Amino acid sequence: MKKNTSILKPALLIGALSLVGAVHAQVAVVVGAKSPTATMTADQVAGIFLGKSSTLPGGATAAAVDQSESAAIREQFYTKVTGKQAAQVKAAWSRLVFSGKGTPPKEMASSADVKKFLAGNPDAIGYIEKSAVDATVKVVLSVD
Amino acid sequence: MMKNMWRLTPLTLALAAFGVQAQAGGDSAFSFSGFATLGLVATNTNLAQYAIAGQPRGADKSVSGEVDSKVGIQLTAKANSMFSGTVQVLSKQNGDGNFRPELEWAFAKAQILPSLAVRLGRMGAPFFAVSDFRDVGYANTGLRPPADVYGQVPISQFDGIDVTYHTSVGSSSLTAQLFGGKTKVIFTGAEIKYDKIIGVNASLELDGGITLRLGHVQGKLSVVSAQLSGLVGVLRATPFASVGNELDLTKKNASFTGIGAAYDAGNLIVNAEYTMRRTESYVSDTNGWYGTVGYRVNKFTPYLTISQVKFVSGNVNNTIPAGVPPLAALKGGVDAILANQVLNQKTTALGVRWDAYRNIALKAQVERVKPDGNGMFIKVKPGSGFGTNGMSVNVYSVAVDTVF
Repeated sequence: MKKNTSILKPALLIGALSLVGAVHAQVAVVVGAKSPTATMTADQVAGIFLGKSSTLPGGATAAAVDQSESAAIREQFYTKVTGKQAAQVKAAWSRLVFSGKGTPPKEMASSADVKKFLAGNPDAIGYIEKSAVDATVKVVLSVD
Repeated sequence: MMKNMWRLTPLTLALAAFGVQAQAGGDSAFSFSGFATLGLVATNTNLAQYAIAGQPRGADKSVSGEVDSKVGIQLTAKANSMFSGTVQVLSKQNGDGNFRPELEWAFAKAQILPSLAVRLGRMGAPFFAVSDFRDVGYANTGLRPPADVYGQVPISQFDGIDVTYHTSVGSSSLTAQLFGGKTKVIFTGAEIKYDKIIGVNASLELDGGITLRLGHVQGKLSVVSAQLSGLVGVLRATPFASVGNELDLTKKNASFTGIGAAYDAGNLIVNAEYTMRRTESYVSDTNGWYGTVGYRVNKFTPYLTISQVKFVSGNVNNTIPAGVPPLAALKGGVDAILANQVLNQKTTALGVRWDAYRNIALKAQVERVKPDGNGMFIKVKPGSGFGTNGMSVNVYSVAVDTVF
């Protein structure tokens, strides 16, 4: 009995650690490597993802992409960058959609899909875990 | 012929936009979305019914699901980065008392510049701060827009054109919309026309979550009513022709002006509007205002709304003398119409919104409505004392709102 619990312990510990890791994952707001955008403020990024602004700092119309509603990174992005809860974001977009003023960012299934989309569109903007950043993307804003 | 063509225009335009879409490849896309509310209302009186302005059936002591329940679907087709078409179909209790789905919007939009867009077709009439999404419960904190203010003008859409300019400086932004066109609506069974509409709707979103809004619309108001035209005709044949002329509602000037302010930052939500209805006919001049304060506590947002509508002028001077037996019926007929236009009511509403699931909000609201006269109530029992001696009505509502 005692032996069994000790075997379980490391697994539990790893599980707990990875949960802590997920909660504190850093969020990287990214554009494609070939994008002319270099850096952005949290206000600029929030403006695009909440539908208040449609353009990138350079003046091009932004093509924003979201992560799926069940992704932990999505909740963190909106909490940390826009300061809004998921329900507030949903309500804000429903005000825009049902006044014919805009459509919410396209949803991507994973950070890999976000990167793939950014690679093909210089006006695209998305967010991924900092650990998922590679040479195909450029970080314009990083939030802990 | 002209009439029929005009009626077809919005749909034709929207279909044309879809046609363009069908031919375009690449970045074209359809997006489908919808909203629905299932709402129940009951009051503590059977002397009158509580309904949203224009609805012929409301709630009394027996629960009604017909006041707030609705479903809308919306389809947008994007041909390219410039052209798109949007159609919205809405089913709610209409002025005929049924739930027949109606074409709420059908417009084509050209985003000429990132800051400038033009729309053509049938679109939302921006007479209030939350005009466009007033039927989307999920998008609003409260259970329904305050009836004392939103009940003054039962028009939600028009056929025509609008131009919208949007500019942002830092985190502040200005949106200015100019619009023109015409519309008609069935209000508790009677057809009301609002033609030669021209209006402006501007909102300024400031740093720190403050939004200010200014709106004004004017046009020519008409009502299609055989009863009214009959009365006007009789009056015009008497020495009291001026009463008939004042009473007549054919292409009479009518305007609506509103200012609003909203604050939404952190956990605090504040909304307020002040509105003025003015006409040159028997439809009364009224002022309406409301203030809402809400505070988010995790997934719960309790809120308090205080609202009022006040009668300003009846616009018709009934000069027919009293006490002259042959004129009694005529005088009574005019007085009855004018009395029905005396709109005075004050409401205190306390409610809570619970964001129960990612796209579902549950709401409960208790209102204490004090009508002075009939107020916004319908089917008031004559001689029952309703709306006298400072009486009040309690209105209880629950609703489930969703967007998809």
